[in-house]
Amino acid sequence: MCTSESAGPAVEVRGLSKRFGRHLAVDDLTLTVAPGVVFGLIGPNGAGKTTTLRMLLDVIRPTAGVVRVLGQDPRRVGPALRRRIGYVPGDLRLDGRVTGRRLLAFYAGVSGGVRSGEADALAERLGVELDRPVRTLSKGNRQKLGLVQAFWHRPELLVLDEPTSGLDPLLQREFLALVREARDAGQTVLLSSHVLSELQQVADEIVVLAHGRVVAEGDVASLRLSTVRHVQVGLGDTSVEAVQAALAPIGTLREVDVREQGGAVRVSATADGEIDPLVKALARFRVLDLSAQEPDLEESVLRLYGQEGTGG
Amino acid sequence: MAEGVVATPRRLPVLRRALAESWRAVVAWAVGILAVLALYLPLFPSIGSNGEMQSIIDSLPPQLVSTLGYDDIGTGAGYTEATFLGLMGFVLLTIAGISWGASAIGGAQESGRLELDLAHAVGRVSYALEQALALVVRLAALGAFAGLVILALNGPSELDLTVGGVVWACVALVGLTLASATAALAGGAASGRRVVGVGTGAAVAVVGYLANALAQQGDTFAWLRPFSPYAWAFDSPPLTDPDPASIGLLWLLAAVFAAAAAELLRRRDVG
Repeated sequence: MCTSESAGPAVEVRGLSKRFGRHLAVDDLTLTVAPGVVFGLIGPNGAGKTTTLRMLLDVIRPTAGVVRVLGQDPRRVGPALRRRIGYVPGDLRLDGRVTGRRLLAFYAGVSGGVRSGEADALAERLGVELDRPVRTLSKGNRQKLGLVQAFWHRPELLVLDEPTSGLDPLLQREFLALVREARDAGQTVLLSSHVLSELQQVADEIVVLAHGRVVAEGDVASLRLSTVRHVQVGLGDTSVEAVQAALAPIGTLREVDVREQGGAVRVSATADGEIDPLVKALARFRVLDLSAQEPDLEESVLRLYGQEGTGG
Repeated sequence: MAEGVVATPRRLPVLRRALAESWRAVVAWAVGILAVLALYLPLFPSIGSNGEMQSIIDSLPPQLVSTLGYDDIGTGAGYTEATFLGLMGFVLLTIAGISWGASAIGGAQESGRLELDLAHAVGRVSYALEQALALVVRLAALGAFAGLVILALNGPSELDLTVGGVVWACVALVGLTLASATAALAGGAASGRRVVGVGTGAAVAVVGYLANALAQQGDTFAWLRPFSPYAWAFDSPPLTDPDPASIGLLWLLAAVFAAAAAELLRRRDVG
C-alpha cells in the first residue's frame, strides 16, 4: 500500500499562486517531488510553506496554478485522495475532554486502513499516553498525537508541516527515524521546517521558499545555507592583541569582536563560508569553549539569496 | 509491530462523534426541560382553569396578552403553549440548538479541529450534513422527551391534551428550533467563526418571534406573519389544530439552511 501506482511525481505544483486579499502568500510556485524521497520545504516564517501544504490537502484552494498530488487533483478527487495522505498541520491544536485514543479512533473511522495495535506501537515509541484527555496534554504530547494520526495508516504521501515544533531533541531524533523508515518503505515525505539542521539530517532534496517563491533548490550540501555561523569562542593564556592578529588574515569573518572578560579572551564573530581557516587559527590557542551556531534561517536566506533572489 | 485487523471506514463518523461528545449536554438540557415542565404544568388546575387567571388576563391590555400568547390560557392546550411550547421550551431548545449549530463548524474552525478533520477522508458536504443531522437527532431527542413529560403530566395536571396534539406540537417545536440551529450552522460554515453562527441563529429566532408578536397586534403588521417561523409553528395551535403544511415549512427551512451550510463550507478556504 505504500508504493505509488505510477512512476509520476508524488507531488507536482505548477504556477501555483495564493492570494489572501492584497497579500500574495504563494507566488507562481513550481516544484516537483519525486516518489519515495524525503523532500524538505524550508523558509522563514511567512514564506508560504503552510499555505502551499494546505493547498495539497484541499484545505485551501489556489488562486491560480495546477496542483497534482499522487497524480490527482486534490480539489476534484477529495476524500479518496486524502485517505492516501498523512498530514500534520502546522498549527495543530487539539482539545476537548476526549482521550487521545478516542480522538485517534475518530480519524481511523474516517480514513480506515489502520492496523490494530498501530496506535499503541507508535504512541509507545513517541512516549505519549493515549488514555489521558487531550486537553491535559502538553503541546509536545499533542504534537505526538498528530504524528500518530499521520503515520499510522502508512500513507503513500506524508505532508508534515513543522512537525517537530514542541518536541524535545530526543523525540526529534525518533521522529527523524520514523521519516527514514517511511522513505525506506517507499513512502514519500514532504516535510517543512524553519530549522535547517533538521532537514539536513533527513532530506534528500530541499526547496527554499521566501516570500512565496522558490529562491533556491537542490540537495542539502549545494545550498550553502549552513555556511553562515555565529561563532563564540573563549581562549585562555593569551591577549586580545594576539587573538586579533591571528584572526585578521581570515577573510571569511565578519562582525568580529574580541575582548577581555573574566581572565579570558572572548571572541564573537560571524563566519561566512568555510569554517576551516578559523578552526586552524584558533588551534594555536588554548580553547576554553567553542560554539558555532546555525543562524536564523531568515537571515541566511536573505543574505545568500537576497530578497528578490531566484537563483539556486 | 502488531499485524492485526485493518480498520475499515465507519459510516457517518462525524455524526457519531458529535453525538458522543454531546450526550452529557443533551441530558443536562433534558433536566432543564423536565424542571420547567414540572414547575409550570402542575400549576394549571390552580391558575389556568379556575377562571381567576382568565379574569386577570382579561384586565390586561389585549396587545400584551396576544404578544405573550396568553389569549387562550384558560384551556390546557392554551396554557401548555403559552408557558412551555411558545416560551420556555422554545427558549431552551433554541439556545441548545444554536450553541450546537454554531460550534459544529464555526467553533471547530476556531479550535483548529476543522482543518485536521477536513484533511482526512471526509468531504465538506458530508461533513456539514452530518453535523446538521446531529442537530436533528439532539433536538428531536429533547423534543420527544418534552412530549413524553407533557403526556405524563397531562392527566395529573388536568390539561386534557390529545396524544396526537402533543406529537404535532413537538414536531412543530423541534422544527422551529432546528431552523435556528441550522441557521447557526450555516453562519459558522460561511465564516469559520462561532460568534457569527450564534448571531445568525439568534437572528432567525428573535426576528421570527418579534415578527409574530407584531403580527398579533392587529392588521398593521399582519403582513409579517407569513415571514415568521414562529408563526408557522404556533399560529394554528399545534396541540388542538395542527397545520401540517406550515409545520412542514419549518422543516423545509431547516433543510435549506443545512444545504446552505454544506455549500458555503464546500466553496471556501478553511483556516
